[in-house]
Amino acid sequence: MSKSSSPMVIEITVISAENLMITRRQPVKKNAFIVVKSDPFNSQSTGTDPDGGSYPAWNEKLIMELPVHVRFITVEAHSGSKVIGTASIPVSDFAGGHLPENYLSFLSYRLRDGNGDKNGIVNLSVKVKGTGNNGCAASCSQPWMGVPADNKVSGGVVMGIPVPYT
Amino acid sequence: MGNCFSDVKGGQQAIGGSVRAGGGGHGGSAASGPNDAVDYFFRAKGEHALFMPIELSLSASKLRDRDITSKSDPMAVIFTKRRNGKLEEIGRTEVIMNSLDPSWIQKINVTYQFEIVQHLVFQVYDVDTKYHNLPVKMLNLEDQDFLGEASCVVSEIVTKRERSLTLNLHSRGRPGFKHLGTLTVRAEEPVASRNTVEITFRCSALENKDLLSKSDPFLRISRTVETGGSVPICKTEVVNNNLNPIWKPVQLTMQQFVSKENPLVIECFDFNDSGNHQLIGKLQKSVAELETLYQSKSGAKFISPSSGFRRHEKVLKSQIIVEVYVEKQLYSFLDYISSGFELNFMVAVDFTDRCFPAWGFGGRTPDCSVSHCFNLNGSPSEFEVEGVDGMMAAYTSALHNVALAGPTLFGQVINKAADIARGSVSCNYAKYYILLIITDGVVTDLQETMDSVVRASDLPLSILIVGVGNANFKEMEILDADNGRRLESSTGRIATRDIVQFVPMREVHGGEISVVRALLEELPSQFLSYVRSKDIKPLNMS
Repeated sequence: MSKSSSPMVIEITVISAENLMITRRQPVKKNAFIVVKSDPFNSQSTGTDPDGGSYPAWNEKLIMELPVHVRFITVEAHSGSKVIGTASIPVSDFAGGHLPENYLSFLSYRLRDGNGDKNGIVNLSVKVKGTGNNGCAASCSQPWMGVPADNKVSGGVVMGIPVPYT
Repeated sequence: MGNCFSDVKGGQQAIGGSVRAGGGGHGGSAASGPNDAVDYFFRAKGEHALFMPIELSLSASKLRDRDITSKSDPMAVIFTKRRNGKLEEIGRTEVIMNSLDPSWIQKINVTYQFEIVQHLVFQVYDVDTKYHNLPVKMLNLEDQDFLGEASCVVSEIVTKRERSLTLNLHSRGRPGFKHLGTLTVRAEEPVASRNTVEITFRCSALENKDLLSKSDPFLRISRTVETGGSVPICKTEVVNNNLNPIWKPVQLTMQQFVSKENPLVIECFDFNDSGNHQLIGKLQKSVAELETLYQSKSGAKFISPSSGFRRHEKVLKSQIIVEVYVEKQLYSFLDYISSGFELNFMVAVDFTDRCFPAWGFGGRTPDCSVSHCFNLNGSPSEFEVEGVDGMMAAYTSALHNVALAGPTLFGQVINKAADIARGSVSCNYAKYYILLIITDGVVTDLQETMDSVVRASDLPLSILIVGVGNANFKEMEILDADNGRRLESSTGRIATRDIVQFVPMREVHGGEISVVRALLEELPSQFLSYVRSKDIKPLNMS
């Protein structure tokens, strides 16, 4: 169906984070940094921000390769040795279908700590640099809807979305 | 006592010079120092005074000859037409002697507001020789010879590519009768408003002014004026509990600092809830000196002014460092639309004869299912209608064929609009979409709507919602995000920018502000926040 040989290269600019707390009451004092993972073994991290406190800013570009099967990338906020917040970014939010190559997407996500509680927001921008095939890798999930085939005959309308054929 | 109720959070906001990711900039309308306070006052009350100052230059040709021995000595006057029809003068040119094709030098300042219709009336007079030594302001128009009149709307001038409009002059009140010559109006934005400088400040080793915790510092930047005092032009946000703060970037326009050599006073205060902020230190640097500081990567020491028993100023260990210094050209909203950017309306009162998409939501179609996004013209595949008439015809026929049904769901319509906007991004960048939703019910799929809005927040799309009727629209105001709380979707994604503007019709009915005006007010800043973040320049601009 679609050529799935070469991985997608993305350029992530980790811009900033907001309202990071170490514990419920204690805001992050300094040296927060972000780690971006495409899978448990491949990660890249930003430098630390010594002054930003709980509103750190990095504006740092990270280049990552995403293998074709990857559907999410994980963003972790760290303070010292502790992971204080995580967010999962679906690849479909910045790559896929209609978005052209080199389109700069600005995205923001809610970070949640180990207990699932909210812990701030991370702001970043993503640009897909090259995919090897028209931006429509098998990993980009386009929504499709189906009508369940019941015994009842309903005169409803089914919306089908063509799957890209290369 | 008043301090108990003061808006501490509001007091901690940056004013005047900050670049906000969500709200966009002023659109090149950088007012001079005193206007920032007025501007902020209006914005804190929810009225967005986004205006763009423009200068009009006038010229005329083939004017009628009124004088016997020589040619006419023309002068032009510009009026605005108020709602009640009365004319109010806003400026006049100088008198040019002896010419039927004058090009006046004196420019007249007008503020262009996107969201209202501004009617201008131009009148040309022949000034009698006996008045030639009087300053133009003192001339009484009734004593002069009337040469002709023309009128137009400000947006007609600024949306032309050359920003220049030529009108035929006619006699008072009888347009199109006698040909009395032509008048050409050209609009220009004051050039200075485009040059800006974006600076990120950082401080080190600030003194601790608070008792139990550290200082909460913020900077205030003022421009020195000729009379000796200084006028504040911006302040940063407050960084809590930090003696080595770094603030968000501050954007200063040329109109604010006037020239790079003009000395600016930079003061660092410790924020106090009581409003009595303590001065930590101050210093004086011009923009050019700040640029040098940045290039040499050095800091400048603060000075503690003389106080108490100490009669001399003390040089402190605290320093200010320029982390980032960038000079930028800030294109204004006018630059984009006059260069050819298209604003595409989906369901709107559009007076040109064009096709545009129209959908209905919350209706039960003939096959008995309730649809939350059906083509208004009844066609299963085509969603376009032609012009306003087509829109009305489609709505009427839909009313006959579709039964009104609840609930009010917006998610699908927004998704459809977002798909269209997303599709256009791959072809060319010069289109921006606006979705107008008219509803009389409170949205019942708030989370889905929020999800759709968040998904669309990075696209060239603005959503304008008008609430009609008596429903309680409190929940809808969450969508508008005007209080700064960014929308959050159920998947954890947060809106990149605020793309919704919600106006309940009831609130504006009978007031001075029309619904259209209230709706359109945020549009230029939403548009600019999009194009600036993607670094999209006006068409044909290198």
